[in-house]
Amino acid sequence: MNELERQSAALRVEGLDKVYADGTRGLRGLSLDIPAGSFFGLLGPNGSGKSTLIGMVSGLVRAPAGHIWVFGCDAVAQAAHARLQVGVAPQDVHLDRFLTTREVLTYHGRYFGMGQLEAGQRADELLEVFDLTAKGGAKPNRLSGGMRRRLLIARALVHRPRLLVLDEPTAGVDLALRRELWAYLRRLHTHEDTTVLLTTHYLEEAEELCERVAFIRDGQLLAEGTVEDLVARYGGDDLEDAYVQAMR
Amino acid sequence: MATMAAPGARDLRVVQRRAMWALASREMRRVLGLWTQTLLPSVLTGVVFLAVFGGALGPRLDVAGIDYVRFILPGLLVMTVTGQAFANSSTSLFQAKNEGYIEDVLTSPMRPWQLLVAYMCGGLLRGWLAALALWLVAWPFAGGVEQPALTVLALVLTGLIFGALGVITGMWADTFDQHAFIANVLITPLALVGGVFYTATRLQQPWQALTHVDPIYYLVGATRHGYTGVQETSTGAALIVAAVVAAAVFALAVRLLDRGWRLKA
Repeated sequence: MNELERQSAALRVEGLDKVYADGTRGLRGLSLDIPAGSFFGLLGPNGSGKSTLIGMVSGLVRAPAGHIWVFGCDAVAQAAHARLQVGVAPQDVHLDRFLTTREVLTYHGRYFGMGQLEAGQRADELLEVFDLTAKGGAKPNRLSGGMRRRLLIARALVHRPRLLVLDEPTAGVDLALRRELWAYLRRLHTHEDTTVLLTTHYLEEAEELCERVAFIRDGQLLAEGTVEDLVARYGGDDLEDAYVQAMR
Repeated sequence: MATMAAPGARDLRVVQRRAMWALASREMRRVLGLWTQTLLPSVLTGVVFLAVFGGALGPRLDVAGIDYVRFILPGLLVMTVTGQAFANSSTSLFQAKNEGYIEDVLTSPMRPWQLLVAYMCGGLLRGWLAALALWLVAWPFAGGVEQPALTVLALVLTGLIFGALGVITGMWADTFDQHAFIANVLITPLALVGGVFYTATRLQQPWQALTHVDPIYYLVGATRHGYTGVQETSTGAALIVAAVVAAAVFALAVRLLDRGWRLKA
């Protein structure tokens, strides 16, 4: 594979293997390409390796066997370069309780090299987009669950990443807010050319948002393609049917 | 909104430097914002030690030819910097790890040594501010500093050693009990038996020998030499050993952060 091919993918992983300290095998030779500019869904049951992959991309899981490139940057050898291009909204809500909602965003921007003024302006912009302006001075523990979830996504976007990784972003979020988030993610993807990697257990969410979808199980790629490809391959009426068939 | 392109090497260094100062400012702001928890108790403890040992016993004691309050103040300054630099670095990192928000800095482009420096900044500020406050309170009773540069150097090395040790402890601890164990069972006893309240020459064996293996004893000796002019140990050797220990602990902490020891799966 040449450099040009690597850079055409937002995320390219080759032969990823991960064995945790307790012997659990997180990934088994996973290889996957996520094209730049795509909205990509990663689906699989609990323990299939979705969060392990995300942890490796973002630097939260120790370097595995295999290779990861983010827009052509080796995520291990050029970790700092790669991390600058990735924004991660993790599955669990962990927010610095010593900071206000606005500060959570400004500090994140500064951790990614933004100046104080620029980070402040960007924080105000995102607070408005995510309807959190009125809560800018509140500590995260004073926010509702939905607000915290929105704040996590806003935080992932502060430094304007080229690849946005959303690990079950709508888990525990009510339907109205989920649809609002969908609309925002669609706008982000369409107008701002951000590649989005989404993991979710809501099949209709993946069907609604994703241009391409991958099924993984036991740390291995089962199938990858458009929703139509996968439905044609596994049968059934929709992505849910195809997923159920694939996981049998 | 334009997305971020990969920066060049020079730009990356600017990004990383800004990131380090952002985390350092967060750490220092936490110390100042929570001053009733981070600064006041240690200053009050030092003042109580001075009042009880210096005020009550002092008039009856004369150690190494100087007033007892003046004798114990340098050790109390070392004890304050030791405890506070350690407590701040370890607590802040432990909380970030335990509550999960350390992910925010672990996913950032900061280099491991920059993470360490940033976390240590809070501990150093806390240790040195508490020591400064204690000195200001005690100064009218204990008198001035004989060699300010030597005193400051010894306290700087004290802060560096125990700030870095605090970071390692914060990484290691999985529970608050483990975190408190190191502070209560290792740091506090080492500080108390480090010659803060007595001169090791007056001790019987094996206590004298045990005191000599306590690293804090040498830091107290160097600080006391700088503050009072009284020299019990070789100050040059003490400073060299302290600098080597500080470099070793710093290097170990960087290595552990680089590996993501107990921070990454």
